[in-house]
Amino acid sequence: MVDTVGDRQAANAAGTRRTGIRRTGPQRPAGQSALGAFMRRHRLAPYLLLLPSLAAIGLALIWPTLQIALYSLQNFGEPQIVGTEPAKWVGFSNFTTTLADPEFWLSLRTTVMFAAVLVTLTMITGTLVGLLLNRLGKRMAAFVSGAALLAWATPAVSASVIFVWFFSPDGGIVNWALEKLPHWLGGGQQWAQFNWATNGALPAYTIATILVVWQSFPFIAVTVLAGLKSIPTELYESARVDGAGAWQGFRKITYPMLKPIFLILGLLSIIWDFNVFTQTYIITGALGNRDEYNLALYSYSQAFQLPPAVGLGSALALILTVILLIITIGYVRANIKQGAVA
Amino acid sequence: MRFRTSALAIGATVALAGAAAGCSSGSGSSSASAVPTALTVWRMGPSVPAEVTWMNGVVTQFHKQYPTYAKTKINVVWIPWADRTTDWQKSLASGKNAPDVTELGNTDTPTEASLSMLADITSNVNAWSNKSDLVPGMLANDVQGGSTYAVPWFGGVRGIWYRKNEFQAAGITSPPTTWAQLLSDAKTVMKKYPGSYGIGAPSNYDYGFASFIWGAGGQIAVQQGTKWVGELTSPQSEAGIKFYADLTLTEHVSPGKYIGQTELGNPGATSGGANEDFGLGRLGMYIDGPWAQTEFPANAVDKAGFASFPVPSENGPNPAPAFAGGSDLGIFATSKYKTADWDLIQTMDSEPNSTTFANLQGFFPPYTSQLTGGAYSGSQIMSGFAKAATNTEIAPFNAKNWTVVDTTDQILPTMMKALEKGANFSSTVATANTEMQNVLNTGKAS
Repeated sequence: MVDTVGDRQAANAAGTRRTGIRRTGPQRPAGQSALGAFMRRHRLAPYLLLLPSLAAIGLALIWPTLQIALYSLQNFGEPQIVGTEPAKWVGFSNFTTTLADPEFWLSLRTTVMFAAVLVTLTMITGTLVGLLLNRLGKRMAAFVSGAALLAWATPAVSASVIFVWFFSPDGGIVNWALEKLPHWLGGGQQWAQFNWATNGALPAYTIATILVVWQSFPFIAVTVLAGLKSIPTELYESARVDGAGAWQGFRKITYPMLKPIFLILGLLSIIWDFNVFTQTYIITGALGNRDEYNLALYSYSQAFQLPPAVGLGSALALILTVILLIITIGYVRANIKQGAVA
Repeated sequence: MRFRTSALAIGATVALAGAAAGCSSGSGSSSASAVPTALTVWRMGPSVPAEVTWMNGVVTQFHKQYPTYAKTKINVVWIPWADRTTDWQKSLASGKNAPDVTELGNTDTPTEASLSMLADITSNVNAWSNKSDLVPGMLANDVQGGSTYAVPWFGGVRGIWYRKNEFQAAGITSPPTTWAQLLSDAKTVMKKYPGSYGIGAPSNYDYGFASFIWGAGGQIAVQQGTKWVGELTSPQSEAGIKFYADLTLTEHVSPGKYIGQTELGNPGATSGGANEDFGLGRLGMYIDGPWAQTEFPANAVDKAGFASFPVPSENGPNPAPAFAGGSDLGIFATSKYKTADWDLIQTMDSEPNSTTFANLQGFFPPYTSQLTGGAYSGSQIMSGFAKAATNTEIAPFNAKNWTVVDTTDQILPTMMKALEKGANFSSTVATANTEMQNVLNTGKAS
């Protein structure tokens, strides 16, 4: 999304320049002059060009958000969906109900911990692979990035099902291997019947973490690689002459140069990893294990399981949005203070 | 009725009769007695071939019996049990693809009726000649505030599956009638067949372990006046909960992988659970209803040995009460053709049709005259279940807010899961009890 908006802005800027040039150009045919003149006088062209994307965003983002805000203040349930009863305004009771539910706090804790681990691991893995790709020869780099991008391109549903199989207590490869491990390495019989997916939040999110990191590090790696290509090699050469090692090179050159990229990647990762739904839905068993909910599963369950409470679900969605906003604003501020954004 | 959180429902909704699932009840006049071009019926569960054949037969009968509807197409859509509530919601919310007639689990009916998804069919039912033969308790479940919203279609109870020849080989002469016997038999069978487990005790299975609570003389919740009072913390209920949890936790006759599973496997899956393990001979005893027959894996072993006995009570000799599950048929409030809908229900739920249908799946028909005929006592598989069917309970599973307790908040499964993992017994049960009582009374946990 960020890219598209950026592109549009660039296109709009180009548009403005074009009209500027035309103004000084030769006389136009009389036919199109009235509207054209009006638009030029009020500088409407940029806004006109913005309109399509604004409409798209409005339809896909702003309207639903407003709708959710409305629902969150109503008792919107099945009678309202069927239309037998009008929606009632219930003030903030959906919010107080949610905040009083211990299940909300449990899923919030799960979400935050899961996201923290995920963001850290994807950023580290992605950066390391990016650095590796930068050093590899052409063929090997194509092979490694191809393999990594395949993971990225695997649909979340298929990947989740496959990972559940890996960790299945019925002949899954992970349990099999753990069973074979020597005792002092933690292996043994107890793993044969261990159900990773349903035994609790920790084992289930262990699968989810490995899966999501595997699926999301390639994007980080490729983006970091693109950044690395833009750093002049002279910097590293002179650093080496001054006696800097690989770690110092990374800390003193690569990291400062790529800080804006890391900022964006970190932001995106936080947003994505806070909202992991597909993988956790499949791994934890289609909403069948309440103690393994994250916020996404919890709000889906509130909104759509019988009896549906669209009001509660909407309140939760808003709460999740606010939490994300607070975290991202805090993150951006911290980065600005460090001078990542000039 | 079987609240199996089942089927990773990818592509599981199959439309029959050559119809696209998209067809709703056709277009035309809004008068309830108009002749529809098509009616949509939602059936729950996978489209088992025998059931499809049965449904086709019923449609033919319907066309013959009601010549007015001779040209009405009947679209049957199969909804996985786990998806039924969300699919109802979606059809209501979008106003598209809604059924005219739908099957419901009998515990869904009170909730859905109070949420006004179902049409009031009181006058139809009162005028129905079959009404007097319906099992009274089953019909009472479909009445809310004096109005009838559905009719019972078939019913069923859970018992314990075992293999007669395995028991004999292990030296067990007759099925257990007390918990002590049940446990020792589980250990005996497990010993006789190394690599197998004695009895499956999945945690996400409140309709199964309810019998243990009732079997010790306990209750899950009771209604006092208009209020529900949680009863999980009574000594009797706790004894039942503890016995079931200990099958996994301390006695190890049930494998740890069932923690967090339904009887079929991980929630949402239909394999990898106790059902499959019993079918493949890796589990000595398996708690489920006779309908499990159609769900065992295709490569199940030693099917000739299949037999059943009712869940024993704590000290015997009579069995523990079983949950009276079943399915109802109801008319969607949004349907434009309520007269035709009711005529179709009358055909589907006629005594011969509902009886053949129930037998087909291992259920019992909802008609007293059919149940007391003695047709079931001679069958090796059905006799145990028929015995269980004589002593049933349904409260609080028919409470208006039970689906919140069960589906949304998963209070009993979450409690059992924690207990099977070794959580503090009394505090876990007490928390669940309070939470359940709140939800039953207010729809909210706190």
